Amino acid sequence: MKIKVMSVFVNDQNKALRFYTEVLGFTKKTDFSQGPFRWLTVASPEEPNGTELQLALNDNPAAKTYQQAIFQQGQPAAMFYTDDIQADYERMKSRGAEFTMPPTDVTASKIAMVNDTCGNIIQLSELANHSR
Amino acid sequence: MNHREQYAPGPASGAQIRKDGEKWTLILVRELRHSPEKIWQALTDPAHLREWAPFDADRSLNAVGTTVKLTTVGAPALHVSETTVTRADAPRILEYTWGDFDMRWELQAFAGGTRLTLWTNIGRRFIAMGAAGWHICFDVLDHLLSGTPLGRMVGPDAIKFGGWQRLNAEYAKQFAIEMTGPPSQAAENS
Repeated sequence: MKIKVMSVFVNDQNKALRFYTEVLGFTKKTDFSQGPFRWLTVASPEEPNGTELQLALNDNPAAKTYQQAIFQQGQPAAMFYTDDIQADYERMKSRGAEFTMPPTDVTASKIAMVNDTCGNIIQLSELANHSR
Repeated sequence: MNHREQYAPGPASGAQIRKDGEKWTLILVRELRHSPEKIWQALTDPAHLREWAPFDADRSLNAVGTTVKLTTVGAPALHVSETTVTRADAPRILEYTWGDFDMRWELQAFAGGTRLTLWTNIGRRFIAMGAAGWHICFDVLDHLLSGTPLGRMVGPDAIKFGGWQRLNAEYAKQFAIEMTGPPSQAAENS
């Protein structure tokens, strides 16, 4: 058994695709639809066959309530690891990303929080002991 | 299944697209040699829908105001949406929503059969896929009502089928749009 796909709920799949590819830097992996259902995933260009992130349309009232509540608490809906958080922060900011927390030292890592424009906070982490 | 092995869809035909602002509508017309009453039942009855439609319904779509759960079949994740039938003038006009999409079915009797028209919203990138998918669904419906069932072909079953690939390309050409393929192809196009 493997972790192949994880999902984030997004309130607009086109907008999400734009953020996760053009701003965050992932690449589109699969995109097809059946009626109103659209299966849309992205992957990291560093791991093109690695875990996919499904950008799932949030048309579920229960999931909307949950998403809004954790967004308001500033809780991240997903977490991605980077080798250079400062460089990613600056690259993403130059593409218009809105950070709710700039790169900040915490126990054993440096983290930043960014608004994905589709209802979520995403956390970026760089491990403190990461050797470049 | 024997009928299924022999099945090859005809050329792309009977489809139009309409753009209204950012909203795209796919309009599909198919003439079937079955009565409007028979087709109406196939469009509304869960046991019939299960044999040909890209979704399952948990109750009949036959009456205005009924709340029905529609479950997408063959999608890689469970997708259920609740709909309310907004118009059900048997056996002529049926309207409900499927997720964010409006669905309008019109049945016109003509000599020896029914001219069936479907209006459905669709994302711009998926118009050819949708037209190819419905084309095959209508063939499956036709065979079902003729007593030579092919078995439902939706989702991955349809995409893997060579006829679907050809129809997708043909409709994309007709609509003069960039073709969106199944998963593997979509990844290559990105």
